[in-house]
Amino acid sequence: MSIYSLTLRSLLNRKTTALLTIFSIAVSVMLLLGVDNIRREAKAGFANTISGADLIVGARSGSVQLLLYSVFRIGNATNNISWHSYQEVAGMKRVKWTIPLSLGDSHRGFRVLGTNTDYFEHFRYGAKRELAFSDGGRFEDVYDAVLGAEVAEKLGYKLGQSVVISHGAGEVSFANHDDKPFKVVGILKKTGTPVDRTVHVSLEGIEAIHLGWDSGAPSGSISAEQARHADLQPKLITAFLVGLDSKLATFTLQRAINNYRGEPLLAILPGVALQELWSMMGVAEVALLAVSAFVVATGLIGMLTVIWSGLNERRREMAILRSVGAKPRHIFVLLMIEAGLMAVCGVLVGVAMLFLTLFAAQPALESYFGLFIGVDPLTVDNLAVLGGIILAGVLIGAAPAYRAYRYSLADGMTIRT
Amino acid sequence: MQNVSEPAIAPERDATVKPAPARALVQLEGLKFRWPGSDDDVLDIPELQVREGERIFLRGASGSGKTTLLSLLGGVIQPREGSIRVMDTELSALGASGRDGFRADNIGFIFQMFNLIPYLSLVDNVTLSCRFSKARRQRVSARGASLTQEAERLLSHLRLDVAKLGRRPVTDLSVGQQQRVAVARALIGSPGLIIADEPTSALDTDARVAFIELLFQEVAASGSTLVFVSHDPALQDLFDRTVSLAEINRAYQPPES
Ligand SMILES: Nc1ncnc2c1ncn2[C@@H]1O[C@H](COP(=O)(O)OP(=O)(O)O)[C@@H](O)[C@H]1O
Ligand SMILES: [Mg+2]
Repeated sequence: MSIYSLTLRSLLNRKTTALLTIFSIAVSVMLLLGVDNIRREAKAGFANTISGADLIVGARSGSVQLLLYSVFRIGNATNNISWHSYQEVAGMKRVKWTIPLSLGDSHRGFRVLGTNTDYFEHFRYGAKRELAFSDGGRFEDVYDAVLGAEVAEKLGYKLGQSVVISHGAGEVSFANHDDKPFKVVGILKKTGTPVDRTVHVSLEGIEAIHLGWDSGAPSGSISAEQARHADLQPKLITAFLVGLDSKLATFTLQRAINNYRGEPLLAILPGVALQELWSMMGVAEVALLAVSAFVVATGLIGMLTVIWSGLNERRREMAILRSVGAKPRHIFVLLMIEAGLMAVCGVLVGVAMLFLTLFAAQPALESYFGLFIGVDPLTVDNLAVLGGIILAGVLIGAAPAYRAYRYSLADGMTIRT
Repeated sequence: MQNVSEPAIAPERDATVKPAPARALVQLEGLKFRWPGSDDDVLDIPELQVREGERIFLRGASGSGKTTLLSLLGGVIQPREGSIRVMDTELSALGASGRDGFRADNIGFIFQMFNLIPYLSLVDNVTLSCRFSKARRQRVSARGASLTQEAERLLSHLRLDVAKLGRRPVTDLSVGQQQRVAVARALIGSPGLIIADEPTSALDTDARVAFIELLFQEVAASGSTLVFVSHDPALQDLFDRTVSLAEINRAYQPPES
């Protein structure tokens, strides 16, 4: 048996303390890696949400705000833009396509998006991927609806099902457009983006349910059939996406839209707005990582405390080892290995716990928060951090090891108890 | 094969040849030692000799420096002045690491109490002393035994039933049993010198003599020399010779009171 197996047996002899120490390191490692994983996944998720559009145009406000409500369905627009302005921009030179977006209604907590069929044609997510149907097809009639994958799954909706849209974006709404139900004609495949949580209807549909709602509450009663024959040309939309012939024209067009005289418009580049979003979140991100790093430090200090406080009662053990010929160096190594071993176990258990937790929490996060957190393999950076933690553990072990080394030189054969 | 009734004679010796006068196994000259941070010597011993095969009783009051002297013999600490030769080896010439190796190969220690490592089994506590010494391992295998077999043999000679006691943690053993395990550990691999530092002081008076007789028997069987330390003069008649630390140590301070 070597000095390593001595360490191992000594640790096993102090199972409870050793396991608790390992567990506290493991939890801290899990936290650190978990925060990093979620951070990376969140970024990737945001970046994947929109990939085809060159510009996003809305009423003048903050660019991050426009990005959030138009693409991520987070928050609400403060102002709408006129159909006329939209038509004018859509007609500008170099504009290849546009997708109008009309937001503000919901169905059982899911946002309703009014748009036109260009949406299915031109919208891209992830690596320039197109939207695809798992069932049915695009809306054609005024009262047709196309569901995102999660909406259909969560609510158990099938084709042909009728859907009542509520005014406003809340989960519970008292103002329902229940006189004008929509029929599900298509269900989209999963995208892992907010599209999955969206109910898509035509702009005309949005217009129809709001007929006579000018004051924000129903005034007259216009039946669904009567509405079909009314003028369903929208007057306002929330925002629109723009695709250009050539990327080179992006800035020229952005400037043209921002200087549009008809009304105050804002055109943003999705990538630039995302960067702005990251820099806003950067502080929180750093703070989270710093807190996790401190938790790791706490775990390691806990280990130091445990080894250090056990040292005195182990002086006897060291004197015995010395008496059978162990060199002070052996005593030093014994304690270093002990610290290193606990750090390594802590890291391994932490990594295992991380993956178990992520896999276990994934469905819950997705269903309660609509947050899809992918489980990434460890990055090179992660491995470097883990190596650093182990190294720190070993270095921390050097302190009690050195103390034991001094003891074993100074005690002679005296067995202290 | 071992002649237990004549413990002073090492087993390998041919009884028909008259043994040469025993050589000095331990030889101290002009030894001076003080602990770091202290201004006074604890030990100042002009001369001390222990002959090969001898069993000597080193007597001294508590605090008189007995354990310190044993640490010096074991090469765990170094004298300020003077020479310590054990088995014809000058310890101070060896260097710290060399002394650790020398101790592992040639010296068996028995302490007053708490001799066992709690997380090792009975047998592993005995074979522990072979772990740091190739020479001891070789001496065991020269007898045609494995380390475990040798440990079990010694333990049963010392009236410890491995089959019965081996499964339980060693901390469950009685003090007397623990001390006998310590004897087995000191003796495995037949080191030339056995050093026992008050091994009986935690035992009942009745058990002391029995313990010492067992110790003698096994020390003789392995052909080792024994330096036995105690403050209890009642035991000294059992030994070949008694050395009083008060007499040989010029730095001796009579205990106050
Ligand atoms: N490791 C040590 N460090 C400093 N002083 C010590 C140490 N061990 C013993 N001493 C001192 O040396 C003297 C002799 O102690 P020791 O050899 O243990 O006596 P004994 O074994 O005869 O009771 C005592 O005064 C004791 O305080
Ligand atoms: Mg003592």
